[in-house]
Amino acid sequence: MDSISKLPFYCVIIPLIASFCMPVFARWKKEVCAPLATLATAAVFILTLIIGYHVSQGQVLSYAVSGWDPPWGIEMMVDSLSAIMMMLISGVSLFILIFSFAAIKYELERIVTGWYYTAFLLCLSGMVGLVVSNDIFNMYVLIEIAGISACALVASKGTRLSTEAALKYLLLATIGSGFILFGIGFIYMITGHLNVHYVAAELSVIKDQYPILIWTTLSFFVVGFGVKAALFPLHLWLPDAHSSAPSPSSAILSSLVVKVYIIAFVRVLLIAFGLEIFHETFIRHLIIVLAVMAMLGGSFFAFVQIELKRRLAYSTVAQVGYIFLGIGLGTPWGLAAGMLHILVHAFMKTCLFLCAGAIAYQTGRKQVNEFAGMGYLMPITMGAFTVAAFSMVGIPLFGGFISKYGLALGSLEADLPILILVIVLSGLLNATYYFPIVGQAYFSQDEHGSGDHDDSSGSKFKRDQIPLSMLIPIVFMALGIIYLGIFPGTILNFINQTIEILL
Amino acid sequence: MNFELIFLNFPYVVSIILFSMGTLIVLTQPNLVKKVIGINIMETSIFLFFIAVGNAYGGIPPIYDPNYPQAFYVNPLPSVMMLTGIVVSFSVTAFALALIVKLYIYYGTISAPNFMKLK
Repeated sequence: MDSISKLPFYCVIIPLIASFCMPVFARWKKEVCAPLATLATAAVFILTLIIGYHVSQGQVLSYAVSGWDPPWGIEMMVDSLSAIMMMLISGVSLFILIFSFAAIKYELERIVTGWYYTAFLLCLSGMVGLVVSNDIFNMYVLIEIAGISACALVASKGTRLSTEAALKYLLLATIGSGFILFGIGFIYMITGHLNVHYVAAELSVIKDQYPILIWTTLSFFVVGFGVKAALFPLHLWLPDAHSSAPSPSSAILSSLVVKVYIIAFVRVLLIAFGLEIFHETFIRHLIIVLAVMAMLGGSFFAFVQIELKRRLAYSTVAQVGYIFLGIGLGTPWGLAAGMLHILVHAFMKTCLFLCAGAIAYQTGRKQVNEFAGMGYLMPITMGAFTVAAFSMVGIPLFGGFISKYGLALGSLEADLPILILVIVLSGLLNATYYFPIVGQAYFSQDEHGSGDHDDSSGSKFKRDQIPLSMLIPIVFMALGIIYLGIFPGTILNFINQTIEILL
Repeated sequence: MNFELIFLNFPYVVSIILFSMGTLIVLTQPNLVKKVIGINIMETSIFLFFIAVGNAYGGIPPIYDPNYPQAFYVNPLPSVMMLTGIVVSFSVTAFALALIVKLYIYYGTISAPNFMKLK
């Protein structure tokens, strides 16, 4: 019982220690780094599975770090939302690490491999910590750990573009965390507490005394987390950073790093400030407006990109809009769908970015108009890509459909049926920029590959020429999307446990 | 307008002004080193804000002294948190400067007018 409540702490500390071992091992023997990093991540994944099992029994784990009890000490708390996010983060990271084995040799210089794994494990530790932390200042520190190491993941490629993108990301992310820190300062000034639950208890008593301060604090948090999570008008860093990073980094940045800030935002907004403030101030209307702008604007911008990874990056902007829409609706279905979309989108974007990496690895093609005949050259990769693209559009049987359906139900619950139109429109826009890629891959002849006058044209299936360590993560991600699309019940029940606490 | 209140709470006013200044510098200055300086001004203003929150006029350092059992202490927590904040700010500055050195090798300049352009 007691030893189980310590597990979240180990989940944070194992990758942290492993990350600092990496440069040492890289100096001694470069080959040890990758298996060791995978071992650490796998250990975290197993621990999170144990935590997930205990939390699914209705237990809430709470651990006071170094024995200082909550009002003054740092508390780590795992409810069902954090448990599911921990499992997602460590599981997806594990697959991305397996993908990195081969991809890193191709995309990075040999000298930086050790540092790449350092940044990766540091980022993992920051993300897991951010999800389990129940103390807002501790959240800030972990936001910075995850943020700076994410910048390092972008910069690790070392090209001109990626360095520029990393600096842009670093500057804007620091502005974002500055805003968050100022907001934390305001909360501390009003309530004198940092623990989320104590803040909530204090705020519910004194919220009428400081109406303007609470408005100010909320707007600071919205701007700060908005920059961090790339909410539409504040997304400027995202396309550059995600498109110029090496593809495993893009996958982890796009599918996980952006999401943990949303989880932290939900925690601050719905638990610390509480539902009364959430409904009394017009913060949810602001979030809905920004989310709608993101869903449409992100898709429009994605439509005009010709580089595949840039298109995927802008698509992330649009999908973050979906998640924020779910939060802004604030109804049980809306929130559950938003949380489900975090999961589904993590699987979809990881799959798409890994496919982009695999395609660049085998054929060197990076533009969306070079996909002709790709379905025959790389059938398994393109198959996974197609699954993820269909899910992105929201076709039934794939995970994306369930979350969009939930969002539609949520907007009915919130008496805003006009939002269904926006959801459908955004889904159609998604179709306009994903279907040409898929269509080209299967229904058009390859002018590039068939130039070597082999027996027949490109209309014959060949086996993918990528290593098995790249193929397995892609296939597992695609299977995950299909699983979420057909059997969403287990996950939704798990999420609903949290929704009952939140709402 | 209650000027006396503003005068009494001038650390807050100063920190808000510095914060706005820092944010403006980061977003508008084309020179990359100036952007980093802007980041530093911004974070320093937050440190000032936290220290002002923790301060109590007439308080003494929060160390137990048996001679003054009824002593009036300053809140130590914000100062401790700002030590962490200073470390974070330091590492961000170091990382940003390292990236700027690398960009200088690529471009031969640290002035980037098109840097924040949307692509």
